[in-house]
Amino acid sequence: MNEPQRVVVTGIGVLSSIGNGVEEFTSALREGRCGAGPITSFDTTGFLRTFGHEVDGFRPEQWIHRLPVEQLGRATQFAVAAARMAVQDAGLDEQELAGLRAQITVGTTDGEAAELDKMMAESVAKGPEHPADQLVAGRLPSHQLALAIARELRLPRAVPAVLGTACAAGNYAIGDGFDAVRSGEADIAVVGGADAICRRTFAGFSRLGLVSSDFCRPFDADREGLLTAEGAGVLVLETLESARHRGARIYAELLGYGLNCDAHHPTAPDQASVARCMELALADAGVKANEVDLVSAHGTGTPTNDITETRAIREVFGDNPPRTVALKAMLGHSMGAASALGAAASALALAHGFVPPTVNHRTTDPQCQIDCVPNHSVPADLRVVVNNGLAFGGNNASVVLGRHDEELVR
Amino acid sequence: MSAVAIDEAKVREIVADCLDLEVEELTLTDHFIDHYGADSLNAIEVLARLEKEFHVTIPQEELANMVNLSAVLEVLSRANAR
Repeated sequence: MNEPQRVVVTGIGVLSSIGNGVEEFTSALREGRCGAGPITSFDTTGFLRTFGHEVDGFRPEQWIHRLPVEQLGRATQFAVAAARMAVQDAGLDEQELAGLRAQITVGTTDGEAAELDKMMAESVAKGPEHPADQLVAGRLPSHQLALAIARELRLPRAVPAVLGTACAAGNYAIGDGFDAVRSGEADIAVVGGADAICRRTFAGFSRLGLVSSDFCRPFDADREGLLTAEGAGVLVLETLESARHRGARIYAELLGYGLNCDAHHPTAPDQASVARCMELALADAGVKANEVDLVSAHGTGTPTNDITETRAIREVFGDNPPRTVALKAMLGHSMGAASALGAAASALALAHGFVPPTVNHRTTDPQCQIDCVPNHSVPADLRVVVNNGLAFGGNNASVVLGRHDEELVR
Repeated sequence: MSAVAIDEAKVREIVADCLDLEVEELTLTDHFIDHYGADSLNAIEVLARLEKEFHVTIPQEELANMVNLSAVLEVLSRANAR
């Protein structure tokens, strides 16, 4: 067994309600933009709540050149587009890519459920004897989210995988790519998460009483809940050696990750298990709790999550925990993409030296004793960031990223 | 006040079904969580099924009050018809 390799993030692709592409996303994080608005992707008539976070200005043909766009569902289009952005951002051309052993792992909550919604609506309207639209049916399989990336980017030696670990799926996928690269199984990893907004999940969260009437306000005393969202975040991972050899720009080093699943409750997070997940990630990263400068929280803005997660953070980091921000105030809850967008934001925060804010904030809940960096980003000399993803069923995943500094001896 | 006619047998049937119980096992006063091992998701299912069956709107805040069959009937009696 070879010595594990150091792994770095050299490319980022992003689609989100606050901006598409790494540059726009970075300025939106700095400005504290909020991407909430009335949902337009489906009819919200009859629902008590009507707000969500949608990706604007997405033109799939701008990013998808080889595959027929109409054969791909919206979530798959997001995954492929973000992957194309990420490899371009990493400065990898197609010839270089073709020779590489690539791990492609995409996390998702809903896969192409929005397409399934459409199919069902048509079936209800036209009757069950009406044949299903073959084109739409062909978009449904979730393996497309990764397979389509391999096909579009022409990666003949890629291993595609899709993970359905709900709202922590993006971090699971990043962990998978990290293992593939650090062990030497893959030369690069193209990993992250993608989800398209869909009526099914919106209806489910609405019925659970977890959807906010206006904006998502994590850690706020008057928070009402989350807003469902869509988006994609994809990272290119490679070894430090390979990045140096190529002269690639390095956003951050991926230091470690942790996963656990407690199956304690269908929806409620378990404090001890969330704390344990962060500890597993820190141990994998070889980082002590007091070396962490920022936590990018799961921070959904629901009453239960924010209290439980804050307590878990205080359990791990003590009475003086690092700043803890919830990007979902800006991005909404983009499900499987959420923690991948969180990891992308963490890498950008490390590279550019700032803390993105928790926006829409009024008064911090006394039960959430953390500095959530309300409303305005702050410049900060960050070294280590922990990024959390906590999912239904007690599926937790934390990723640890560190600033890359050629002079810094670790 | 609501003008909804409440069929108690129907309510009992819905609650028993959501809690995975036989109708005769369900008493008026035994606690859903402590006695029958239900959880908050079962309660949401009860709320949703009652809303559909009786064409009423039950505010989400009432979930906490729906601790046993008697309380469910009370909540239903003050729910607004749609």
